[in-house]
Amino acid sequence: MTEPAFDVQLSLVAEAAGMGKIYRRGAEEIHALREISVAFAPGEFTCVLGPSGAGKTTLLNLLGVMDVPTSGALRVAGTTIADAGRVRLAEGGRDRLRRENIGFIFTEFFLLPTLTAVENVQLPLLWAEKDDHSYAVELLERVGLGHRLTHRPTEMSGGEMQRVAIARALINRPRLLLADEPTGNVDTKTRDGIFDLFRELNADGLTIVLATHDGELAARIDRVIHLREGRIVEGA
Amino acid sequence: MEYLRLALKNLLRRKTRTLLTLVGIGVAIAVLYSLLEFQQGYEQGLNAEINQLGAHIMVVPKGCPYEAATIVLHGGKWPRYMEESYFDKIAATPGVSQAAPILMDAMINPATKDNKIFLGITEAYGTLRPKWTIQGTSFSTLEAREVILGTSIAEKLRLKPGDTFHLRQDAAGRAAGKDDADMKVVGVLERTGSQDDGFIFMPLHTLQSIFKLPGKIVVVLVQAEKIDGASMEQTTQALRELGGNMNIFPLSELLNNASQLMQVTKVFVLAIVLVAIAIGAVGVLNTILMAVFERTKEIGMMKAIGASPKDIFALIWTETILICTAGGLFGIGVAVAGSRGIEWFLRQAMASQFSQLPETTLIGISPGVILLCVGLSVGLGVLAGFYPAWRASAVKPIEAIRGAN
Ligand SMILES: Nc1ncnc2c1ncn2[C@@H]1O[C@H](COP(=O)(O)OP(=O)(O)OP(=O)(O)O)[C@@H](O)[C@H]1O
Ligand SMILES: [Mg+2]
Repeated sequence: MTEPAFDVQLSLVAEAAGMGKIYRRGAEEIHALREISVAFAPGEFTCVLGPSGAGKTTLLNLLGVMDVPTSGALRVAGTTIADAGRVRLAEGGRDRLRRENIGFIFTEFFLLPTLTAVENVQLPLLWAEKDDHSYAVELLERVGLGHRLTHRPTEMSGGEMQRVAIARALINRPRLLLADEPTGNVDTKTRDGIFDLFRELNADGLTIVLATHDGELAARIDRVIHLREGRIVEGA
Repeated sequence: MEYLRLALKNLLRRKTRTLLTLVGIGVAIAVLYSLLEFQQGYEQGLNAEINQLGAHIMVVPKGCPYEAATIVLHGGKWPRYMEESYFDKIAATPGVSQAAPILMDAMINPATKDNKIFLGITEAYGTLRPKWTIQGTSFSTLEAREVILGTSIAEKLRLKPGDTFHLRQDAAGRAAGKDDADMKVVGVLERTGSQDDGFIFMPLHTLQSIFKLPGKIVVVLVQAEKIDGASMEQTTQALRELGGNMNIFPLSELLNNASQLMQVTKVFVLAIVLVAIAIGAVGVLNTILMAVFERTKEIGMMKAIGASPKDIFALIWTETILICTAGGLFGIGVAVAGSRGIEWFLRQAMASQFSQLPETTLIGISPGVILLCVGLSVGLGVLAGFYPAWRASAVKPIEAIRGAN
């Protein structure tokens, strides 16, 4: 396929240095991440593998600037988010950075039930104050749903809903696609189909970080970071 | 896709709940609309009547001034009389350009409660009402045993110029007693929109003799030469100096008093309507807040894919304003569509409290009131939506999304 390549930056897409995250619940401190140092180069397809509670979601949330680290440094899309444990980018700036650079995919697809497939894909454009119907259609075709444009989520299978969610994550032409357990809700056959799609997108130049505890899936990805109890034990 | 469409789709997710909330707002706005229209219609009607009086000052024997005012405006039995000789003194007072003596009396049918109001007048009455048109005749040429009928009463009695009128008549229009000498209908007054439409006019002396009130009158309507504040004050003062235990009312004051009375009721009823609107607002607040709680995960997702707190605030706010505006428009629609019915109901309900309501339309359709009600509906949405929108904008995406797993 000779689809237009996604923006490829020479600089790193994201980089963490000695990054930590502590959740505080009253007096209790939960060290979800400790001393994470890792970099994601443009065009890389990385798998974050670890058991439940290892900190995978926490790491993806930090990379997607949904949350901020409590220690260390983090740079995303050329912007310093935190440095020496201090937040450098205010919430409004983080919202914008996320909107312009990050695509998110969740285990639960989070499609709006009242909207059609193509409307769901266009949803992020609402906040970006632009409208690009033809690109939304193009993306749905790209994820293999050209024949499902006006279907609503209730009329689609889990695999199809996740494909719509992927198209939605791509509408703002992100530099980094973050997928948190994207195949946790579908059977192995559908999982393989979605994985192939990620592969294709990556082949077109998209940087992807995928979190999973599915070893079988991880085995097919070139770069695997093993996370355990908030630490990278292998692959940084 | 725009905000409005997304907000609309969100509202349509829970059709019943949205509809009930909308109806709640609609009812409150419909009541408000009807009330404001009634207020306006009543005041206009009152104004029109005073204007049509064509008189500037009213002279009546002492008694309750409001009672006297209502009687003159709306008809009714007069409590006291003044001598006709007193009228001559009024007519001769400096500053008075015209004075019209009036005797008023009524007959009621105890069975049907129908009443007939008679006005005994002289040709001076016509000069106070230059704009009136009477089919067939005029006040100045009215002779003894001739009557002029107001439109409503003419229609009710099915009489037209040339017909014979009996003071007391049975359902078939025949004389009911032997003393009911024939009178001739010489004219029908064209519709004035005031109480005069229900009056039966005849020469003063005829009425005096029929009702056995020789030399008596109940009110003198005075037209002043000049009606600016100072001149009116002077003329009123001159009339007061005539003595004779009379009340002198400049009619502008009378209107003020009547509308003051309206103001008091207005404040009271408005307070009730505001409570109704407040209840509607709480209903909207509750509906939208529930929707926000139900959609916490979804709101978290929207933030994750690029919505800022401001965007979420705007979305929820739009939803609230939309539902309130729709409710308001619905309410106004209902009130306009049902205005005839509401007016009929009000007239029935108020007939006993007010001796008589103006005959002009009370609940009309005025752009000003519609605009005010629409504005209030939107304002309601703006207010009621603020808190839910703020709650939604404060949703933390990670927590909302984590709650889903
Ligand atoms: N908001 C929070 N408050 C307190 N503790 C939290 C919070 N979020 C996560 N944690 C804790 O941080 C640790 C890492 O959680 P995280 O969700 O990142 O793990 P995970 O690898 O994604 O697990 P799973 O595979 O089950 O999704 C866990 O011990 C979790 O209980
Ligand atoms: Mg997780």
